[in-house]
Amino acid sequence: MIVEGRVQIPFRYAAGAAASRFGAALRDERRILGARCTGCDRVLCPPGPFCGSCGGAAGAAVEVGPGATLLAWTELPDRGAFALVRLDGADGALAHRLVDVPEPRVGMRLRARFAPERGGDIRDIEGFGAEGIER
Amino acid sequence: MTAGAIAAEPLGVACPMDLGWRYASGAAMERFLAGLRERRIEALRCDGCGRRYLPPRPLCGDCRLPLDRWVPVAAAGTLEAWSVYRLPILDGRTGEPRPTPYGIGLVRLDGADTTINHLLAETDPGRLRIGLRVRAVWREELRGALDDILHFEVAR
Amino acid sequence: MSAVAIIGTGQTRHASRRDDVSQPELVREAAEAALADAAVGPDEVDAVLLANMELFEGRALPELWAGAGAFAAGKPCMKVATGGTSGTSGCIAAFHQVAAGLFDLVLVVGFEKHSEGHSQTGMALTDPFWDRAVASGALGNFALSISQYVAERGATAEQAALVAVKARRNAARNPHAHLRMGDLTVEEVLSSRMLADPVRLLDMCPQSDGACAIVVASAAAARRRSRRPAWVLAAETRHEQPYIGDIDRRLVTMRTLRDAARVAYRRAGIGDPLTDLDVAEIYEPVSYAELAWYEALGFCADGDAGRLVEEGVTGMEGELPVNPSGGVLSSNPVGASGVIRVAEAALQIHGRGGERQVEGARLALATGYGVYAWADAVVLGAEAGAT
Ligand SMILES: [Zn+2]
Ligand SMILES: [Zn+2]
Repeated sequence: MIVEGRVQIPFRYAAGAAASRFGAALRDERRILGARCTGCDRVLCPPGPFCGSCGGAAGAAVEVGPGATLLAWTELPDRGAFALVRLDGADGALAHRLVDVPEPRVGMRLRARFAPERGGDIRDIEGFGAEGIER
Repeated sequence: MTAGAIAAEPLGVACPMDLGWRYASGAAMERFLAGLRERRIEALRCDGCGRRYLPPRPLCGDCRLPLDRWVPVAAAGTLEAWSVYRLPILDGRTGEPRPTPYGIGLVRLDGADTTINHLLAETDPGRLRIGLRVRAVWREELRGALDDILHFEVAR
Repeated sequence: MSAVAIIGTGQTRHASRRDDVSQPELVREAAEAALADAAVGPDEVDAVLLANMELFEGRALPELWAGAGAFAAGKPCMKVATGGTSGTSGCIAAFHQVAAGLFDLVLVVGFEKHSEGHSQTGMALTDPFWDRAVASGALGNFALSISQYVAERGATAEQAALVAVKARRNAARNPHAHLRMGDLTVEEVLSSRMLADPVRLLDMCPQSDGACAIVVASAAAARRRSRRPAWVLAAETRHEQPYIGDIDRRLVTMRTLRDAARVAYRRAGIGDPLTDLDVAEIYEPVSYAELAWYEALGFCADGDAGRLVEEGVTGMEGELPVNPSGGVLSSNPVGASGVIRVAEAALQIHGRGGERQVEGARLALATGYGVYAWADAVVLGAEAGAT
């Protein structure tokens, strides 16, 4: 016998110190902020809160992008193209969507597309488009 | 520690979640739930310790023996613990708030050795005490679920 | 089993909302404090153990992100989840790892951010066949068991209120505590809102955001690094059958806690816990439970717990101060709460309890409680035992 049901739960997560600064800059200034690692000096984007290599905390803000390089991509059924990109000036990789990239290839140049309505989180970047294709 | 002092405004992300769930009952529970549709309650008795288990389950946790001896249990029993619940809580089946107050109790059904956790019709704490006789109030249309018993009422 | 000790503790400020930090940042706050207390660098930690209750925050792989807060990348790292005992069980798992000779230094971090989810609904999502239609969460389970305990042992609402007052007044001396109510009175507890007869609002623990960490060390590392290690003399954990109705009069019989404590006392050479122990940090999510635990832990004869609290035996000036920190009644970030009990007991042995220090504490008990299904007992001492 099978028992089925459904439940709604209203989760809400605190972005925390590092991600709040990132979200506010996206929302208010359409700027992408990375953070310099206090341990190893790498520029983190997404900016932490902690460095994936050395475990250090996110330190001073560093503006990165909006230009970027495509590191890896795949096409997901129903969800479009999903990618890892390196923003200009950053050392890490950011996971995001590709928009307006007719023929993705690793190493190609991309540019962040900002959402017209922005709320202060990663969705304020709609995705990354091929450099040179404007809307 | 982090660059926390720089962000003036702590941001957050709202992620309301709508989860569907679907569980297989297993053989012992299937027989029990099918019985409820006919207003029949059955327990599983352990050959090791003699304990008659409700909910029925495939194994006695104390003796580590498999259980397969079904025994009949009455739809009436003794109230072994009670409370009147007054805090708004979401119904685990739907996520909707449950109307308060409502009675809750542990009932030892005649013929079982464990107690079952269920709802009580009575919400006046002055009228509830351990040892009261209670009986099941059945739903009109039986569906093969624990809430085929709507609640227990005090037998007068 | 070779000797194991706790050489550092650290915790966050616990509060109903910590919107200023994300989960990994909350974890980092506690981890950094514990490592600083132990004078251990993040690179020196051999392995990390995390403790967190499932479902409360509705987040996949919380241990992945929390692990980053605990400096876990590149190290052995795993999570323990056993309801309210998650924290004490996480500490015990670390004791086992170090005692087995696998590691010299293990960092344990427990954490919870209740404000980010809906804990009541999380608790209501238990067994789909037997619980969801009728369950009323931790509070409902407790209220039922308390009706049996009160009927059998004669505990009164006033005695329970004395426990609630003791906890919040102690918490006023603990800078980390969530509910710090130095002036709380029995009358205020007895006139607070009824939640589920006989449990009132001020009888119940809060829901807190918080994290707590300890550094566990091998004997050699402890002697090299610490002037006063808190030695683990015993650590016992017990599981129970799954359904609330399986256990006959749970708060009265309480076989998980009785069994764990009995074996822990024997291993630690404790004959009479009330006179031998100097301090106890016990996991009491509701005032009545503390009374039931006194009996299960052998602090008094069955039925005598009310007298203990009336006579102040378990107050800060009494023979056995219980929960100088304010306990779970004053701070309850569930996944952290068990680690807090162990950390607060260790803090007493370290002699670094500040305003909540019990003078000259040399033998301390910490317990964990996870719904009705788990209980843990940990005994810490100023001297390494003959293990
Ligand atoms: Zn780094
Ligand atoms: Zn048996």
